[in-house]
Amino acid sequence: MSTNIGSNTSLLFSQLIPTNAETMEDEKQRQQPTASRKKHTVESSSDEDSDVEENFILLTERRGRGGGAEEEGEQHHEGEEEEELSGGDDDDDEEESDSGEEEEVEEGSDAGEEESDGGEEEKDGDSEASVSDDDDDEDPEEAGGSSEIQTREDMKTELSNMSFEDILKLQNKVGTKVYNEVAYGGDKSQKSCKKKKRLNKNRPMEISAKRPALFLRQVVSVRKPMFRDPRFDDLSGEYKPEIFEKTFKFINDIKHREKEVVQKQLHKTKNNHKRTEKLQFLLKRMENQERARTSREQQRERELHFKRLQRERANQGARPFFLKNSEKKKLQLAEKYEELKKSGKLENFLSKKRKRNAGKDRRKLPKQAA
Amino acid sequence: MSSSFFIKKKENPTFDKKGKNTQAPKRKVRDRVEPKRRQSNQETEYDETPQEKKLRLAKLYLDQLKEEEENKAEEDSFETDLIAGRLQEEVLEQKGKLQRLIAKDLMPPDASEIRVLRGHKLPVTCLVVTSDDKYIFSAAKDCSIIKWDVESGKKLHTIHGGRKGTEDRHVGHTAHILCMSVSSDGKYLATGDMNKLIMIWEAETCKHLYKFTGHKGPVSGLSFRKGTHDLYSASHDRSIKVWNVDENAYVETLFGHQDAITGLDSLSRERCVTAGGRDRSVRVWKIAEESQLVFHGHEGSIDCIQLINEEHMITGADDGSVSLWSVNKKKPLSTVKQAHGCHGDAGLEQPHWVASVAALQNSDTVASGASGCSHNSQVQLWKCGQNYRALEPLFNVTVPGFVNSMKFSSSGQFLVAGVGQEHRLGRWWRIKEAKNGIYIIPLKRKPPNPEEAKLSE
Repeated sequence: MSTNIGSNTSLLFSQLIPTNAETMEDEKQRQQPTASRKKHTVESSSDEDSDVEENFILLTERRGRGGGAEEEGEQHHEGEEEEELSGGDDDDDEEESDSGEEEEVEEGSDAGEEESDGGEEEKDGDSEASVSDDDDDEDPEEAGGSSEIQTREDMKTELSNMSFEDILKLQNKVGTKVYNEVAYGGDKSQKSCKKKKRLNKNRPMEISAKRPALFLRQVVSVRKPMFRDPRFDDLSGEYKPEIFEKTFKFINDIKHREKEVVQKQLHKTKNNHKRTEKLQFLLKRMENQERARTSREQQRERELHFKRLQRERANQGARPFFLKNSEKKKLQLAEKYEELKKSGKLENFLSKKRKRNAGKDRRKLPKQAA
Repeated sequence: MSSSFFIKKKENPTFDKKGKNTQAPKRKVRDRVEPKRRQSNQETEYDETPQEKKLRLAKLYLDQLKEEEENKAEEDSFETDLIAGRLQEEVLEQKGKLQRLIAKDLMPPDASEIRVLRGHKLPVTCLVVTSDDKYIFSAAKDCSIIKWDVESGKKLHTIHGGRKGTEDRHVGHTAHILCMSVSSDGKYLATGDMNKLIMIWEAETCKHLYKFTGHKGPVSGLSFRKGTHDLYSASHDRSIKVWNVDENAYVETLFGHQDAITGLDSLSRERCVTAGGRDRSVRVWKIAEESQLVFHGHEGSIDCIQLINEEHMITGADDGSVSLWSVNKKKPLSTVKQAHGCHGDAGLEQPHWVASVAALQNSDTVASGASGCSHNSQVQLWKCGQNYRALEPLFNVTVPGFVNSMKFSSSGQFLVAGVGQEHRLGRWWRIKEAKNGIYIIPLKRKPPNPEEAKLSE
């Protein structure tokens, strides 16, 4: 025996297809047009079913207002059920519309008693809905409770009027658990507090099993990669040139090799003037950088040497002496002269220096008006 | 304790009410005797907490036991002892303390003692063993179900599969059967397939009884609650549905998983445990209280799960790791990584996926089967250490092919493995040397050593 739902109840569900994200107000709005539509159709077992369903939904709405998410869970649960069926009921819809029209034609001839009963019940349902609206503004729980009981009684009378086959279908659709609650009463007042405390943090988490997973859910956590700039990061520490140069000494070799590559390229290109200019510029730049680096290193070496001398003097007992800046420069100059003498460019250097000094001195002389 | 606890009353079965008060604190020990009966009087009020319900059902059960024993026993003192004895055994079983510590006595079988039942033309996807160890039901990718007799190895019954598109006419499945379960009294067989259907068959005659629709995705896990006819089903639509097969009714749906569910298992408690696939969680569902316990700990997708006893379970993942869990701890008690080795080129080695796990109930023996290496594919037997704190390998049995499903017999005499040339969920690769069939691996025990017996005395 399959759990397919007959065509009778499908009309309602094709109209009421609440999704999980739907709010209660949407559901209410949708019920009102369906209620008005139903007043035209003849009372048959289908309408009794639909009334039951309407009442059921109203019932769960009221529960939703009174309690917490568990009722929403039930709604979602119902929503799930109805969604499930709406897919299967699409074929039945066409049949439904035809039968609906036929029923409308037969409306006048049929006994009005059932209709009026149905109408009264629907009106009751609507009036209860409106009553509950007003009540809920003031006293949500109490009014909800009383109207709840009224709708449950209505539902019980509806269920008693339904044929067994329809009851079975309803039960199959909605689930025996929910059906039993509605038909035989349930303790809606004793809803659980959702936060279940676990004894210690090693125990598993306990959460409700009635809430479906959201559509936009995260199954696997994706971590965004954080980028660090070592220049502005406190983790990198302060800049110390000696330590920096020591750790990155290998770059000097790489730079040297690159300079050789540029030199070779320069030798090769003879036609393209722009390119040769660029290459020359680049080569000069690299050479300058290298020269600056070596001079810095020599400076550091000299200072270290001087410090070592001082330490030795201090160890031996004589007081350490400190050089003035001008004296340091003199020492540097002396060293430079030595080097130039070795390479033989001393004359060149000295003549250039004399020319520059002469030019400067001439500027400093008082200007003679000619 | 594999005897059936179905004691049907002569009155009509009525709806079983489930109370909804979950404000209750943790269950106390005295309420732990979980009754197996599920019928209740109509006059009792339906506003009761799960604890009260358990108390009421426990009292009913005690009354029934008394009646039974009255019929059997003659003396009064004898009667009370029997009841007490039975209750004690059940409590121990529930708590997981009734242990069969047989792992150290197991010996690897010879290759000649392993029987292969061949009959399926396509890879076997799942199998179950009835609780009296007489029959094996197996399903394959050709959507057929075969009932085998264990002793003779013969096919007793075949339910053929239909072609895709013949769902209306054909009595049987028309899509791959992913999961099966047989009730503990051997009455019903439930099978779930990729067409979102659950079919109920009568196990004796293999007659089709019911078809349950309602799932929105392939049904990937099925399990009967032990001692009852409650069926739990899990599917790729991330929901778990509870069905009552006696009344052919759907009871309720439970939600919580974030991704498709890959396996489900249950014992005699009113709860089931599921493996969550890519969301890497294992969840224990308390059905009466409508809540779930969430466990995390695997790194890869969890593909298979089995309960060892009411408190412990074992899972296998697709990163080759096998984990042992306890209900009281949110992380696994013990994990074995790359349990079946790696394959692939040097430097690009991938661990073999663990395609199935099996556990001998209330004992310390578990088995895991890997997917697809042709030359060293094995079924590995493990011993759970003291208090389930460790997993030690015992021995392995070479079984070429994808071990798609494994089950221990309830007596622990043999292990049944359903093997195929392809993985049960798809065709990632195919092992041509493997044979599609069912391997029955006998588990031999070491004969008790007389010296050891003297020492123990």
